[in-house]
Amino acid sequence: MGSKIKTMEIKMNLIGEELTKIVGPENFSADNSLLEKYSRDYSLSPSGRPNYVVWPRNAEEISRILELANKYQIPVIPVSSRAHFYGATIPKQGGIIIDLSRHMNRILEVDELNRRVRIEAGVTWKQLVEELRKRGFRVIMPLLPHPERSVVTDFLEREVPTNTVYDYGEPLQGMEVVWPTGEIFRTGSASVPGYPDSPSRGANPTGPGIDFYRFLQGAQGTMGIVTWANLKIEYLPKIDKVLFAPVTDLSYIIEFLYRILRLRIGQECLLLNNINLAIILSGSMNLDFEKLRSSLPPWTLVLVLSGLQRRPEEKIQYEEEALRNIVKNEFHEVQLSENLPGVLGAGKKLLKLLREPWPKETYWKHLYKGGCASVFFITKPVLAPKFISKTQEVAAKHGYLPEEIGMYIQPIEHNRACHLEFNFFYDPNDLDNVEKVRGLRRALYPILLNEGAFFTRPYGELAKLVYERAGSYASVLRRLKNIFDPNNIMNPGNLCF
Amino acid sequence: MPKRTVSLDVSNLENFVYDMSRCIKCKGCTWVDHIYMPGIKFSTRCPSATRYLFDSYGAYGKMRIGLALAEGRIQYNDKLLHILYACTLCGACDVGCKRNLDLEIELTLEALRVKAVKDGMAPLPQHRKVVQNIMTQHNSLGASPEKRRNWLPQEIEPSQKAEVLYFTGCSASYRNSEIAQATVKILDVAGVPFTLLEEEWCCGNIIYSIGMIDEARKIARRNIEEVRRKGAGILLTSCAECYRMWKVDYPKMLNIATADLGFKVLHLTEYVYELINKGLLKLTKPLSLRVTYHDACSLSRLSEPWIPWQGERGLWGVTSPPIPRRRGTNGVYEEPRRILQSIPGIEFVEMIRKRENAFCCGAGRGVKEAFPDFAAWAAEERLKEFKEVGAEVLVVACPWCKNNFSEVIKAKGEKIKVLDISEIIADSIATEVRGGK
Amino acid sequence: MAFPKEVYSILEDIVGHEYISADPVICEGYRAGPAGYECGLGYERVMTRVPGCVVMPRTTEEVQKIVKVCNRYKIPYVPYSTGFYGARSHPHVENALLIDLKRMNDLEIDEKHLYAVVGPGVIYSQLQEEAMKRGMYTVIGGGGSQCSAIANMIGDGWSPLSHRIGLPHRRILGAELVLPDGELLRLGSLALQDDPFWGEGIGPDLRGLLRGYTGHRGFLGIVTKMAIKLLPFQPEKLEPTGVSPNTALMLPEKRVKWINFTMPSFESIKKAMYEIAKAEIGAAVTRVPLFWRIIARAGSKEEFWELWSKENEETVNAFFVLRVLLIGFTSEKQLEYEERVLMDIVKELGGEPRRTRPTDESWFKNADSAGMWLMCGGYVSVDYVIETIEHATAQCKNFAELKRSYTPPLMPDYADPGWFQCFELGHQGYSEFLIYWDPDEDTTRVDHFYLETAKENIRKRFYTALLGSHQPLYLTGPAYGPNYHKWLLKIKKEFDPNFVCHPPFPLSHDFFVEQAEWMKPLKDWGSPNLNEILPKEIAALMKTSSQSKEK
Repeated sequence: MGSKIKTMEIKMNLIGEELTKIVGPENFSADNSLLEKYSRDYSLSPSGRPNYVVWPRNAEEISRILELANKYQIPVIPVSSRAHFYGATIPKQGGIIIDLSRHMNRILEVDELNRRVRIEAGVTWKQLVEELRKRGFRVIMPLLPHPERSVVTDFLEREVPTNTVYDYGEPLQGMEVVWPTGEIFRTGSASVPGYPDSPSRGANPTGPGIDFYRFLQGAQGTMGIVTWANLKIEYLPKIDKVLFAPVTDLSYIIEFLYRILRLRIGQECLLLNNINLAIILSGSMNLDFEKLRSSLPPWTLVLVLSGLQRRPEEKIQYEEEALRNIVKNEFHEVQLSENLPGVLGAGKKLLKLLREPWPKETYWKHLYKGGCASVFFITKPVLAPKFISKTQEVAAKHGYLPEEIGMYIQPIEHNRACHLEFNFFYDPNDLDNVEKVRGLRRALYPILLNEGAFFTRPYGELAKLVYERAGSYASVLRRLKNIFDPNNIMNPGNLCF
Repeated sequence: MPKRTVSLDVSNLENFVYDMSRCIKCKGCTWVDHIYMPGIKFSTRCPSATRYLFDSYGAYGKMRIGLALAEGRIQYNDKLLHILYACTLCGACDVGCKRNLDLEIELTLEALRVKAVKDGMAPLPQHRKVVQNIMTQHNSLGASPEKRRNWLPQEIEPSQKAEVLYFTGCSASYRNSEIAQATVKILDVAGVPFTLLEEEWCCGNIIYSIGMIDEARKIARRNIEEVRRKGAGILLTSCAECYRMWKVDYPKMLNIATADLGFKVLHLTEYVYELINKGLLKLTKPLSLRVTYHDACSLSRLSEPWIPWQGERGLWGVTSPPIPRRRGTNGVYEEPRRILQSIPGIEFVEMIRKRENAFCCGAGRGVKEAFPDFAAWAAEERLKEFKEVGAEVLVVACPWCKNNFSEVIKAKGEKIKVLDISEIIADSIATEVRGGK
Repeated sequence: MAFPKEVYSILEDIVGHEYISADPVICEGYRAGPAGYECGLGYERVMTRVPGCVVMPRTTEEVQKIVKVCNRYKIPYVPYSTGFYGARSHPHVENALLIDLKRMNDLEIDEKHLYAVVGPGVIYSQLQEEAMKRGMYTVIGGGGSQCSAIANMIGDGWSPLSHRIGLPHRRILGAELVLPDGELLRLGSLALQDDPFWGEGIGPDLRGLLRGYTGHRGFLGIVTKMAIKLLPFQPEKLEPTGVSPNTALMLPEKRVKWINFTMPSFESIKKAMYEIAKAEIGAAVTRVPLFWRIIARAGSKEEFWELWSKENEETVNAFFVLRVLLIGFTSEKQLEYEERVLMDIVKELGGEPRRTRPTDESWFKNADSAGMWLMCGGYVSVDYVIETIEHATAQCKNFAELKRSYTPPLMPDYADPGWFQCFELGHQGYSEFLIYWDPDEDTTRVDHFYLETAKENIRKRFYTALLGSHQPLYLTGPAYGPNYHKWLLKIKKEFDPNFVCHPPFPLSHDFFVEQAEWMKPLKDWGSPNLNEILPKEIAALMKTSSQSKEK
């Protein structure tokens, strides 16, 4: 036994040495307090410590690290952000944290002509949005991303955008990945020889031969390490008009959305319940949360109309006219207004919020109680009320007041589907509170699954439950992963791996 | 590649090797024209392909099989003969192909049957009876030639000589006297003298259609001569199959143009339309009927006049002189519709697959005789469409269609009425029969 | 050697005797050539075989059973929907089983949620009509209305209407894939339930197995069901008019309108595309090559040649027509707005609107695609690329140059740079390069040109659709990725260990080059070690055919 431990120690030291050789001593650490930081995040996932942290400078270094990891059969955990919510970067079996956020955070190209940007994985929302804004551009965004999160990671993880009008959806184009075996590979049209010194700009995400990039999506860092990606960017609209509608009958407003979003009206369009909207607005505008939360209607529809690069007023005009006609003839009870009662300048403020990452130090989801456990999935909008009442029922049974649940409905692509999210707030220092929420979520998952919730991004313990039910999907996933990661070193313990 | 001499003569399959070898499997021959595609139901217009499903039954399969036959790469067997003959030569494939590609599909299919006969593989046993009937009794039913005129109503007398010669046809003569009677009633009321052939023989439709071209040619020569001797300027028929034989296949077999027959060939609907426009016929008696109209293949897709052609084909497949294309564009589509729509009280609805997209009734060109199940199946398919459009009466322009639909309706106990357009026209004429001149 | 009787009777029990045949006449009807897409060329002559048996299943379960039988008895099989993709849709080995999927033609539409669920037997034509009846539309791929919607969605799938929706793989929602070993993989929301409304994976997205930039021609299983996104349209009907062959859709002009513009130069067309995309207007934006205009005007092949022979390099390169489709999705006012913006742009660039027919002959129902073969008899798209507009236009100009030395036997097109269009609202451009030849002529150099374009793409660092199964895998593989072919073959080996699903894909073009004498001089890249890749039973079936020596 003693010799086994000794062998282990020697091996670990050897690994440490070799890692240091690859990245340089200033980019290597085995310091406990630092390892501690990587062992937990904002989620309820149990902690897990890595053995090392490295900060590589380029893909070649990552490649050599992975070769090493395969040699020693030691896991690696890619990290590109500085804030984590779902436990995906917490090591489950020890290993090496490969943190790209320190060095691999450059905006490599901004190609205005082709409305494309190429960024390294470590580029944050704050970085990117600022740079694009300077040039009059934006990228379609999920709701209030954390400023220190990796843009590439969030898109790989399929965070749902607040913009419903683009048929082509996701912004991801050609990227570079280091496969778990250590091979550096470019996907899509970035795969041409010599890229980026080529007529190909990496604007096509598909191929070569097979859609590799699909395997990287939703992978929680288990299929490879993306070092840079091309993304589609859009022009910032010239004019925006933010409209609000108070909602008491959720089904009614959902029908309204089925009607208007099909007509390709609007840019950003979302539904927030009073708690979430109150948190967001009070947190960013220094308003009184309690007052706001009780004065806001149960739900609020936010609809942004925009005029684009040419004749912008005319675009808003025809969209407004269409909206007016529909409200007048079909949905009399919808009251669209540029004002949000109780909040002066809400429109302007919210527009800024929708086009930028969260501006404050404390993330909005943590403002209320300090901690937040989320449950989200994709469903058909018409089913949202059913899921909501089910969730409220389960919450109540677990001692969580239904009126304390934060809720968010994000219509997707003309309202063909929606992202439905429940936020359960808790005080992370109150262990009972934490347990209650943990228990609630655990009870909720199978119930929602039974009702038809489609969990496309199963984090933490949800993964096991979902993959058990999707047995054949899990088994094919494992077979596929085995091709790219025969030694199962790439972030094992996530998903079904 | 040196230029090749080609003609549209169906007695030589070599003339169609080009067409068979250029089929791209687009299945324009099978699907309804995509512009007119009605959706997931009623989406095809080839009964053979729709019924038998294997690619080999669609024209796109037949082209490949035909090419293999021409190149000696394949042997005849029962399947091959079934593929060749379980087909009503309805022309949907021809029109479909010519929407985009201009291959002579119909002629190829005819040429394949001619070859099958020449190779001693046809006529099929199932066709022997009808062949014998036509060759010996000069009618497809094997009935007594003496009784061929029994349909003629007493009060109507044909003239010895007239501009209009009514070619009654075997079906109307023996089975569907209502059609013949309606036809002559119409002529009578319109004051149009007409004559009949003393010894009317079958037009030879089945003989030609199953590939017995030599025999068919003899019949054609004899029949044309009889009409010429009569001195009629118009050969009038109320049967679409006879119409097509006279107008298209007779000239085709004799390598002359339709215009050179020496007389015009008109279907009753064309002639009635003319009469109405000239004010010689008035359809004024109201008929309270909700009707739809089934386009007979031979009256519509296949009815454009024949123009003989011979020439050369060279690089890119360019022909010189250019082949005059018969694409089904100028079929008799409008006249029957205008007639029906002009009758007071009639509510007219279109079938879902109409005009050049019509789905063949399944009876023609030897199919009813050899494959009665298939013929019944096709009629049933078409009747499903009829039910879908919610009409009361199915109006047809050919006794073959009428009989095939009627048989299926009877067998299934359906409450659908089938009428020939001649009957409807006759019913809508207010005046009684005046008596012949 | 005939199809094994024992296997035939097992399959007959699975589908019923009416839906199976090994009759040589039936099988002959399934021959790939001599005409069709990419037919009349060496590849088709050397590589394709008539199937040994044809079977027509109706359900996914039947397909699974059939595939499992093939695995047990080492019977190579080929999934087949319409066969319209030409040579590569057909068996490449002797005595293969052709699985004709046309009976799997169910169609359901969820109008509220904008998607249709179809089987492989449903063609675009049917789907488009059902969608349009309900105020929606789909993009019918360039292959045309007659293509199986599923086959095209996992193969190609774009048209000028892709201006807004872009890449076709985005339109795939939940789907069923019968893996090469017969196991069923349910993709998207089908993994957890019976409603295929959503396509993303649970975690990693296995839809990545269905295709690459283009499809891999069916070597990784059979898609037996797919939910396809439909797009919101506008409410007015597009009325069919005309009698064959001149049928077209009448456009409700206040809601749907094509406008042709004469532009002063090639550059100005490019610029217009960028500006239109930047303004985020339009439903289709495409350059019209002179060639197409002649095709549209010509009533026959002979008339085409008469007109075309009057053109030359000068006239071709002085023809700058931009064609834009406007759709008033939101309202009539939207169309008016977009038209004003469009006129602003065109005016800025010195263009002029031309009189444009208020009809759509092609793209909504795409009824004209078969006309691509009318002129010459042989046709293939030798490349098509989706990349930036710049890349698209540079590539097509490059090919025009390369093509000169292969004309003849290629049809003279006077260095026309072909057609290109705007894609994904200007984030991409699409260019397609079509070539035509007379199949009765010596087509050796067409085979050479086809391969030469692959090499040219590598040399010039262009992206290309013709990777994977379309060109020699060992030529393109090392260049792109690099080594994408390694992964492709590993995936193939994992999911098709018996190599029975459409052998020898993805190596079919490698085989062709090995087997065709006239291709050997072009070979300057590595060869696959077939003993490693192919099981011996399949390798035996790939023995050189007597035709391989022919030209």
